Amino acid sequence: MADPKEVKRLEELAYEMRKKLINLCGAYDGVVHIGGDLSMTDLLIGLYHHGMRVDPSDIKSPTRDRFLLSKGHGAVCMYIAMCLRGYFDYDEIVKTYGRLDSAYGMHPCKIQLPGVECSTGSLGQGLAIAVGLAFSARQRKEAHRVFCMMGDGETCEGEVWEAANTAGSYKLGNLVGIIDRNKQLMTSFDGDYMRLEPYADKWRAFNWDVVELDGHDMGQIIDALDNLPPITNEKPTVLIASTIKGKGVSFMEKNVGWHAGALSKEDTEKAIADIEADYAGERSAA
Amino acid sequence: MKMTFNFGSFLSARSVVGETLHELGQKHNNVWALTADTGGALATFKKDFPDRFIDTGVAEQNCAGIAAGLALEGNIPFIAGMIPFMTMRACEQNRTAICYQDLPVRFIGTGGGLTSGGGSTHNAMEDISIMKSLVNMTVLSIGDPNMIRDIMILSMDYPHPLYIRLAQGKKDRMLYEPGTRTYKIGEGITARDGKDATIIAHGEMVYVALEAAKTLAAEGIEVRVIDMYSIKPLNKNLLLKAVKETRNIVVLEDHLMEGGLASVIADAFVDGNIYPENFKRLGIPQVFAGFGSGEELRKKYGYDDTATVAVIKQMLK
Ligand SMILES: Cc1ncc(C[n+]2csc(CCOP(=O)(O)OP(=O)(O)O)c2C)c(N)n1
Repeated sequence: MADPKEVKRLEELAYEMRKKLINLCGAYDGVVHIGGDLSMTDLLIGLYHHGMRVDPSDIKSPTRDRFLLSKGHGAVCMYIAMCLRGYFDYDEIVKTYGRLDSAYGMHPCKIQLPGVECSTGSLGQGLAIAVGLAFSARQRKEAHRVFCMMGDGETCEGEVWEAANTAGSYKLGNLVGIIDRNKQLMTSFDGDYMRLEPYADKWRAFNWDVVELDGHDMGQIIDALDNLPPITNEKPTVLIASTIKGKGVSFMEKNVGWHAGALSKEDTEKAIADIEADYAGERSAA
Repeated sequence: MKMTFNFGSFLSARSVVGETLHELGQKHNNVWALTADTGGALATFKKDFPDRFIDTGVAEQNCAGIAAGLALEGNIPFIAGMIPFMTMRACEQNRTAICYQDLPVRFIGTGGGLTSGGGSTHNAMEDISIMKSLVNMTVLSIGDPNMIRDIMILSMDYPHPLYIRLAQGKKDRMLYEPGTRTYKIGEGITARDGKDATIIAHGEMVYVALEAAKTLAAEGIEVRVIDMYSIKPLNKNLLLKAVKETRNIVVLEDHLMEGGLASVIADAFVDGNIYPENFKRLGIPQVFAGFGSGEELRKKYGYDDTATVAVIKQMLK
């Protein structure tokens, strides 16, 4: 069971992170993929601040855990999780995000922003690349893990399942997939057109161990990360985290219009108020 | 659809695509709409013809394959999507499932060139090069948001695969008053006449070319502007006439300079033994262009109106 003090620490970080996300979105004059940012906020805090062995002062350390954001449109969410961990400066992100020549682009670029493990943004490619990292680690007898965060909509791409099949076949126990299972794509809800269920069974059928959890429950996130099998496990692991797109902001939650959007000053204030109320446990259910 | 026409003002090409597809769906029961989770503008089509609407989720290859199957049965599938994923993820399906069988699939892609703002994963700077190299594929690039309507309508009688590159798709500049021109595959438009040089452009760069021509006119240089919306097949007569009458040719495009319209034109020059006095191309150099708005990036990489003016002045010195 997760240490309550650690749960509290991470919850506070996630709270701060949500506010930082909203403030950045409010300060930027273009659109931000805020819906899917808010749905994976707790997971990224769990990873960067608890589950992964990473050191912002030694970003090339061979022993670091590797993280790939396959749903690259959530770049800003990763930037802020990393910023809270000491990688980057928040003001710098706000000042330059999405602008010409910025290191902090709408999709993460490894060459422009050291600390980012892999350039992504074209969906469906991350898992195969993660499989490559995992093969390399195993062959070199390195002890780190490879984590790959995917959107559930993204897993409509065939390449994801080709990679999943490979990882299962080659028993890559050092590979951990994480699914931000918010049951929304860009323009629809899961089930409107494509039906992903029975989702966990699909991964099991490809020879993965599956852990299902509430992706907004920090205790469950910590437990899932603490209880990952050893890297010698016979199967890769996927954490299927049930989440809410737009989590914490009443007018964004489960609203297809907020896959990506721009925030007016008024909406920014309302969103911040929602997040504060949500954190204090005062917000009525959406 | 009634609207006032104002040269240079904005309209969403995607919304025109949505309306036109709905119209076509009503008239022809073999018209289908397909998308890989990017069909925001297809709401009315999917409402009225749900049995002819397919959203595959984020799965562009699948989308192309299904379109091929539909077309084999005599249907006319329109795929709406974002250019890089439509042209690159599904490239082999486009070639082998669709072009090899010469199937009448219509690809309508948004985010042409560097207009998307999403950085190098989302920039579309190779699409013309890729799509034009596919045998049987026709390639159009359309900037004017009203023009797409006419093109979609005329495509109903076109029995081959057709790729249509749009500009950003959300905010596109109107160039031609609806109903005042007839468009045809294999044609081009002389958007402005002139005798000193010709700028050949496509997509949203036609507007940029017209701006450059305006600036040059104020200095007494008369530049012709051709909107070469049909890139494959190319209107060689229009090209030849421009070489004969204006001698100096500048190609301006929101695409890698290598492999785009400039390359198509260079091929035509080589094949036809045509020698303009001057021939220059402006576009994206061999770089991953990165983040920024289309306008900012055009400026950075030297193919905006200012750069065009400078090149033409230098050429005519
Ligand atoms: C290959 C590819 N196709 C399409 C897109 C455009 N796109 C960006 S986000 C998105 C929806 C992704 O849904 P999901 O993976 O569920 O992400 P989330 O809901 O967590 O934001 C789409 C279609 C893309 N970036 N890459």
